[in-house]
Amino acid sequence: MSEKTVRIPYYPGCTMKTKALGFERSAMDCAEVIGFEMDELKDWNCCGASYPLTKDNLMGLTAPTNILIEAERRCQKEEVDPNLLTLCVFCYNTLKRTEFALGQDKKKLETINAFLDRKYEGSIRVVHYLEYLRDVIGFDNLAKMVKTDMSKYKVAPYYGCLLLKPQKEIGLDDPEDPVILHNFLDALGCKVIDFPAQVDCCGSYLVIREPEKVSKLSYDILADANEYGAETLVTACPLCQSNLDQSQGDKVQFADLDGMPILYFTQLLAVAFGLDTKTHKLEEHHIDPLPLLKAHSGADSESK
Amino acid sequence: MLINPVEKDQKHISDLELATGETISDCYQCGKCTAGCPASMDPAPSVLIQFLKLGQFELAKNAESIWSCMACLTCSERCPKNVSPAAIIEGLKNLHLRDMDPRVNLETMSRDLLAHSPQMAIISGFRKFI
Repeated sequence: MSEKTVRIPYYPGCTMKTKALGFERSAMDCAEVIGFEMDELKDWNCCGASYPLTKDNLMGLTAPTNILIEAERRCQKEEVDPNLLTLCVFCYNTLKRTEFALGQDKKKLETINAFLDRKYEGSIRVVHYLEYLRDVIGFDNLAKMVKTDMSKYKVAPYYGCLLLKPQKEIGLDDPEDPVILHNFLDALGCKVIDFPAQVDCCGSYLVIREPEKVSKLSYDILADANEYGAETLVTACPLCQSNLDQSQGDKVQFADLDGMPILYFTQLLAVAFGLDTKTHKLEEHHIDPLPLLKAHSGADSESK
Repeated sequence: MLINPVEKDQKHISDLELATGETISDCYQCGKCTAGCPASMDPAPSVLIQFLKLGQFELAKNAESIWSCMACLTCSERCPKNVSPAAIIEGLKNLHLRDMDPRVNLETMSRDLLAHSPQMAIISGFRKFI
């Protein structure tokens, strides 16, 4: 669509290639419409998924540093701006915090470089897809690309934790009162449902040890969104998506709540762009979002 | 209850501060961490820190509640004294894990749960519990 497509080095991470394929595919399809290409790093490893919170855990920084090195070499070779695009919130948090830690502590950087036997110079800036839309494309420009009337959609923007915290290191938005997803949904023309639980934790990795606790936390978030009138909830995090969506299979906990589809923000963007959503894995969600999309599709919507 | 600081515990506590990079004595027990904690921890984060401030290392280390922390970082973000309870809790967990004392059992874990969980949950869960 655009006369000159910008290619941005992109780090997917493990989940994006498996459980969150629909997130990646919808993001890539939307990027094409907007006019940029997510250019996947050729040789990437797992980032480790969670950033080590204690200062002594240098070993936990080696995997993300290796990814930053890969990105740095790519950017230098191709003479492009040293940005690394991410979609998964865990990857974003881990890589962004590693970027911050190595920028602050040269000694740490030297130790890790020596261990990896590779040299990271510290040039890479980790960027989330949402951040790219806000700061480079601009939500006002995004609004001009919307093809579908989205005014019927009552959408709760759900942030979770790691997209925003710790603010000092991530710096994307205010962790207590964020607006980036609100503004994104505004640009799409949706009815934005502001609800108190938007930054509450869904239970995260606790799902592998105490799934019943995750069910309870997910219920509290969804009951809150429901009370404020939301019919769907969007997120940027595959673990939030999975916890909020899969927990609804717990019929005891969710006895008094109707199923609420949990969408990735890019899946909704694809609907707003009027794209074919066949490959976006909507049918793999535990709570099927297709009836909602169907109910709201006017004559101009392509969503099946 | 009369609490007497234990000599050898003081050494463990300064080691914990070194490992986590946190200054435990900075905490002035305002309770904001506990108020915001979504994990319903008991003992709560501020209580765990108070144990450490009183030199009761074993009480903090052996508290079952440390395993319910999901590292959402609400406590760390809200602390007016720039202490990270989440980091201190992770430091305590690491002491168990480095002693080969894992908190999930791969043998008995539900295969169904593993099949449904995204990779990021499995990887970060294993890092926090094994």
